[in-house]
Amino acid sequence: MSFFLIAVRNILRNRTRAISTILIIAVGLAALLIGSGFMLSTYDSLQEIAKRVEGHVIVLKDESVPAQGGVDQQLTLPNWQAIQDELWDDDRVLRILPRARFEGLIRHGHNSAAFFGTGVDPKEEFRVYGPFLKTTAVLDPWLSDQDMPDVVLGTQLAETLSATAGDELTLHTLRSDGQSTEVMVRLAGLFHTGTPELDDHTLMVNLSTVSRLLGSEKISQLSIYLEHYEDAAAIKQLLQAKLEGVLVQTWDQRAELYDKVKAQYDRIFGVMGIIILVVVFLAISNTIALAMYQRRDEIATLGALGTPSTRVYANFILEACLIGVVATSLGMLIAYATANAINLASLMMPAPPGRSEGYPIYIYISWPHYLVTSVVLIAIVAFASFIATYNNAKVNIAKALS
Amino acid sequence: MDIRLALHAITKHYGHGDNQVAALQNISFSLAEGEFLAVQGPSGSGKSSLLNICGLIDQPSEGQYYLNGQAVEQLSVKQRCDYRRREIGFIFQRHQLLPAMTVYENIAYPLFLNKVKAKQIKQEVTLLLKKIGLDHRCNHLPKQLSGGERQRVGIARALIKRPQLVIADEPSASLDHQHAHASLMLMRELNEQQGASFILASHDAFVVKHCDRNINLLDGSLAGEALGLGIL
Ligand SMILES: Nc1ncnc2c1ncn2[C@@H]1O[C@H](COP(=O)(O)OP(=O)(O)OP(=O)(O)O)[C@@H](O)[C@H]1O
Ligand SMILES: [Mg+2]
Repeated sequence: MSFFLIAVRNILRNRTRAISTILIIAVGLAALLIGSGFMLSTYDSLQEIAKRVEGHVIVLKDESVPAQGGVDQQLTLPNWQAIQDELWDDDRVLRILPRARFEGLIRHGHNSAAFFGTGVDPKEEFRVYGPFLKTTAVLDPWLSDQDMPDVVLGTQLAETLSATAGDELTLHTLRSDGQSTEVMVRLAGLFHTGTPELDDHTLMVNLSTVSRLLGSEKISQLSIYLEHYEDAAAIKQLLQAKLEGVLVQTWDQRAELYDKVKAQYDRIFGVMGIIILVVVFLAISNTIALAMYQRRDEIATLGALGTPSTRVYANFILEACLIGVVATSLGMLIAYATANAINLASLMMPAPPGRSEGYPIYIYISWPHYLVTSVVLIAIVAFASFIATYNNAKVNIAKALS
Repeated sequence: MDIRLALHAITKHYGHGDNQVAALQNISFSLAEGEFLAVQGPSGSGKSSLLNICGLIDQPSEGQYYLNGQAVEQLSVKQRCDYRRREIGFIFQRHQLLPAMTVYENIAYPLFLNKVKAKQIKQEVTLLLKKIGLDHRCNHLPKQLSGGERQRVGIARALIKRPQLVIADEPSASLDHQHAHASLMLMRELNEQQGASFILASHDAFVVKHCDRNINLLDGSLAGEALGLGIL
């Protein structure tokens, strides 16, 4: 005697209702999976940005030591070469990038603009950004500090200055002693990050250009890139133990955008998830309650034959779970197909606040994630059907059969 | 012969206040082990109400009911359910087959509930299906059967577990003479081999003739007991 088959027959007896319940659950699950797949891929790319832009481990001057103001506020980390030497032999370390921040005025003919500049190691710096910084119109050798030093500008800044590659520009800034200083630079190329504030105002030069211009060997931060970012905490610990007067951070401590977006998305998708779970709960409760109402005399017959009430519950819960399994399987397929279609179509998201361009929608498809979500949903189905069954299984046998 | 069941001053009301219907009034009788009792009476006289009480699927409004010497009143809901499962076979006025179960499964269900081994279930159900002439329909669903065939399956379901008490509410209502006779013989066989007691509600003079004794209901009251042919 197969109660599985009997449950299937019972479901098929009212297939319209079963199909509508299955569709509600399947579409709900698909929405949940696609939404969370999008959320997870966004988290991942934001984490990726944080890792690529800031580095996996960041060494800064300990902020508890007061700075003197002016240039000293930005170029704070002395003896960074010693730290570099310290880490060169560590197999876990891939790159060590010094960055010296400075600011001032840039002039091209009659046009001028305020800038935020970074002095970088030209050989290594541009290898870390991946898709998050695109360079164009590059002259060779890249960011040289010979004769007339090279500069690369954010695309928008170059536009403001009406400068094109090969043009000569002047950088004005103040030294730590308050003296004004300037240097002629040659526009070697452009970069584009997709963040207007950056593309509007930032430029990069060779680190030695900054040292020469400002008369300081200090830098602002040392960004350390690792073979595996999972080692970040270990490297941080190692550096903190060895170095004094510095602050060592890991990438996630500086992933402000990630934190902000995650907090927001967690709320949005959390609410969405709860709504979908409630809908599933209600759909199943309703289906089971309706089925039990229509099948009162069947329940009464079972009772008259001496069926223990737990067995009656079990029959209906089994039916609900079967519906749940079919519905979640269908939901996973819908989510899988839709996610693939969206990924293949490379649809663009509109630009988020703080960005000038949208980004391609990518939706994660992870079977463990699908299975866990489905199991949660089936558990809710089982729970909802248990409650519905419990509330409806007490029928007056004689009355139902008369 | 031991007393299987005894009713003392049983009354059954349905509804409340002005809508109250007195379906049974002051019914007393007893039934011996192995006795075959017919309950007669016009439609609405209370036959089904009485049978439901005897079969433990309803409770009297007043009066006492003893089953095998046990006051039914004192049994819990679960104990009554257990009793129905083990000791009572109920043939419903409207067959009440389980719609998602095949003929075979419907008949096997009481044995399954009583945890009989699968192999034995198969043997017994197959045998009984032959006896009621429905072995060729064993994999059909109730909705694929005629009214009379359903009734026969309902009878088989009640008898399969060889209960000590069979309650049959108009078991032959939708059967032709031949099948009514065959079904009655099946009940008689269980009655004679196992000493099972029977209460049958019936209009059918032929069925009543085959009972040991009959009682008559009229508007919910007993209209004098008459002895049937079988006993004494
Ligand atoms: N659940 C109920 N609620 C209210 N009244 C009921 C209920 N069941 C039965 N009755 C009433 O009780 C009386 C006896 O009904 P019962 O079904 O016992 O008669 P019956 O002898 O079996 O009739 P029939 O031969 O038509 O099956 C009838 O008047 C009926 O209307
Ligand atoms: Mg009746």
